[in-house]
Amino acid sequence: MPSTDQAAPAAKAETPTPSQQLEAPKLSGAELKKQKQAEKAARRAQAVQGKPVTPSGPPTPVQKGEQKQQKRRGSTSGSRELPVRQPESNAAPKAPPVEDKTVEFFRHLSKPHKKTITGTPKDIHPAAQILGMQFCNYAICGSTARLLATLELFKELVQSYTVPPRTTLKLHFTTHVLNPHIGYLISFRPLSISMGNAISWFKREISKVSIDISDSEAKKMLCDAIDMYIRERVTFADQAIAATTTEKIRDGDVILTYAKSSIVQRSLLQAHEEGKKFRVIAVDSRPLHEGKNLAETLANAGIEVKYCLINGLSHNIQDATKVLLGAHAMMSNGRLLSRIGTALVAMEANDAEKPVIVLCETVKFTDRVALDSIVLNEIAPADELVIPGGALEGWRDVKKLQLCNPMYDVTPAEYIQMIVTESGCVPPTSVPVLHRLVNEPEIQ
Amino acid sequence: MPSLQAGYAPNLSFYLKSLKAQPVESSIENLISLLKRRQITNSRPCAVATAHLLLQVVAKFRWTNIDKLIKRIQDVGRRLIEAQPREMVVGNIVRRVLGMVRDEAKEDRNEDASDSASNSQSDRGASHSGGPPPTFSPLRFSTTDDSDSTEATGDDVFEGQSHGASRPPLITSHTSYAPAGGLPPQKSMFQLLSANPSPASTPPGAQSPQNTSNLNATSLAHRITTSTKDLKAEVIEGIEEIVDELDQADDRIAAQSLEYIHSNEVILTHSSSKSVQKFLLEAAKKRKFTVIIAESYPNDHEATHKSVTRSISTDAEGADELSTPKFSKSLSDAGITVILMTDATIFAIMSRVNKVILATHAVIANGGLIAAAGARIIAKAARVHRTPVIVVSGVYKLSPQYPFEFESLIEYGDPGNIVRYQDGALVENLEVDNPVYDYVPPDLVDLYITNIGAHAPSYLYRIVADHYKTEDINFDKPELQ
Repeated sequence: MPSTDQAAPAAKAETPTPSQQLEAPKLSGAELKKQKQAEKAARRAQAVQGKPVTPSGPPTPVQKGEQKQQKRRGSTSGSRELPVRQPESNAAPKAPPVEDKTVEFFRHLSKPHKKTITGTPKDIHPAAQILGMQFCNYAICGSTARLLATLELFKELVQSYTVPPRTTLKLHFTTHVLNPHIGYLISFRPLSISMGNAISWFKREISKVSIDISDSEAKKMLCDAIDMYIRERVTFADQAIAATTTEKIRDGDVILTYAKSSIVQRSLLQAHEEGKKFRVIAVDSRPLHEGKNLAETLANAGIEVKYCLINGLSHNIQDATKVLLGAHAMMSNGRLLSRIGTALVAMEANDAEKPVIVLCETVKFTDRVALDSIVLNEIAPADELVIPGGALEGWRDVKKLQLCNPMYDVTPAEYIQMIVTESGCVPPTSVPVLHRLVNEPEIQ
Repeated sequence: MPSLQAGYAPNLSFYLKSLKAQPVESSIENLISLLKRRQITNSRPCAVATAHLLLQVVAKFRWTNIDKLIKRIQDVGRRLIEAQPREMVVGNIVRRVLGMVRDEAKEDRNEDASDSASNSQSDRGASHSGGPPPTFSPLRFSTTDDSDSTEATGDDVFEGQSHGASRPPLITSHTSYAPAGGLPPQKSMFQLLSANPSPASTPPGAQSPQNTSNLNATSLAHRITTSTKDLKAEVIEGIEEIVDELDQADDRIAAQSLEYIHSNEVILTHSSSKSVQKFLLEAAKKRKFTVIIAESYPNDHEATHKSVTRSISTDAEGADELSTPKFSKSLSDAGITVILMTDATIFAIMSRVNKVILATHAVIANGGLIAAAGARIIAKAARVHRTPVIVVSGVYKLSPQYPFEFESLIEYGDPGNIVRYQDGALVENLEVDNPVYDYVPPDLVDLYITNIGAHAPSYLYRIVADHYKTEDINFDKPELQ
């Protein structure tokens, strides 16, 4: 890899002190190597002076990285440095073991999320850095919004891409530009299902690019393809879904919805514009309070809105006539992966015998299956649960106390009466069929 | 009076301190306004305040006959209930006191009527007639023993002796028994047995107070001079028993915890109930398990957060509590892993939960309960996942009321907790709903653990019958009597 070859001498030339290593807890692979080199250099320098090195780095976030480092070091540098490392490994257990604050059930999902753009590798496009920040502070939060933003980023990447000499776009772009950027975005928040679908589609498109056409032609082709994809799979799909949903809303309906889905909001607004008389009950929950945004938008449009939190759900479900839900993804076994709390709403609606209608573009369909909400989920940083000024501020100091902030839950298929997609209204059992038709065209 | 802690919310302790100094009437007014202003909230503080107030009412009220006392207590009770109808424990405590006064009066009357003859039998029978489990009022048993010793007839109460003297009150009581026809059969069973030698006599079950005076008109003057004082002392003692029961309810519940929690369990609970925390803490002494707490935003989350983070018990219900300052550990200090989650995560996590333990605000006679908002979705999610739901509640929260519409029991809280008034546009355009309580129907509950043991929801009506007298159930609603 050319980039690390360049990085290593640069690091040696700088001869950084151990203190510099402490400052960057989050490391990419390239940086790790750089740091390793620097450490080696420093150790050599100090070994000459006869002093053992004890880099007393912060034990918390880098533990994994450090272990890797040690492994690699062992393999590359051989036994010559082992005596020098000895005091280091002795010193490690002395530090009080940091309590693992992640919840055991979700430990497989708990990854430290990036919160800043410091330490970004230099070949990451600035637009990706902005997008990463928007992902992690929930400025762009919904599944569809993230999909659109990612596709726009890809377009930007294609346009600003120049093919290096002795290679072609088809061979070089995916591995050297697309994948690092996707990895960078994942470090802020895991990919949504729709993004995963779009990425595999886009990679397919790249592989379809003919070697014979010029780079500029290929770039234009890819950009057009992205535009087309957005138009077909999102814009038109949303229009079709909103139109179908509007038909389903009758005068006098009371629509209950949970959190905020862009397509639910759009459908309700459209129905209101068409002159339908209905009420909306917006149910919401901590910590994102997305429903407040929806309630505000709808109320400003002149719709009668009642707003309550999820603990008031039982009191309001009787008043509702229909329940409209957005989706993060539809699993292949008919289950709905959506904002945490959706399953409770669907459960209550089912209990009160209210129809549950899910609005979902087919781009959110996936061939993955889910039985519970624990195997497949996303864990948001626990600190988002802390209310500023509240008692939870010092929760990390309380032993054996853990906060858990999952993003999604899985709604059983039997709670869902209908899924409105751009290809029509289907029952949850039809999800895998529809998914094969629209997302995996090559299987046919 | 039990020692007062330095309270978190000074209102209850302040009120209790002021009780002795103030005249009764102003104490009543004081409590009414405290209830109305919600300065005393939650079941236990309300119950404690009511019991202490009634103690003062009885102690300072000059009465010549038991009817007047009952009338007086009913009067005060009615005013308190009107002040805050949704704090159902207030009514419960008043009913308990009324029932206790009636029992004492009955004993007293029987003693009185049998002055001339040796008739420990009817006496004994009467004292046992309403005999609920000893936890309710051990007092009655102690008085029974007293009467035994004084009248020196020993234990052979079932031997047919001279019943002639004891019969007249029994027969008259039979006539007055008719209006209180709703008596549970168990009470009369013992009576039937004990009164076996005299087939004409029927259980004295529940003599209505109106007859008490007529009945004992002859000995009234005598009673006023001699037994009023004793009766008063006994009533006061009875109220103190109730106060003690309020204090000990949580400990008695907690003592049973090991029977329900095995090691390495995952238990889900919600809000910041002191009863539940004690229950779990007691189990934590012996076993290691995990507790998941749903924070019950937006009405109780602050107390929940405090209870999980601080090592002192600062939850609203606990800190202004009178007794047990030894309770000072948070669950995580006791070595339990505590996971705090939002209410929305309940369904996601329920598949990994072994047991749900709910705290409650009030329990109603059909086995349903009124609990912090969100309890119903927890119970429902538990049922979907076939997870057992246990409700932890003192018997004092068990109310004989059975409302036709459960919505009437639900209190709605400040919508400003959900949408702040700073969000001007939102406040203008939105209807915001903030229920404080949920009604959980009995079919969602598997088990009730009370200070007198564990019961199925379907059995609760029996405990209601044991603790409250039929004629007191609707005392606050004259139109239903």
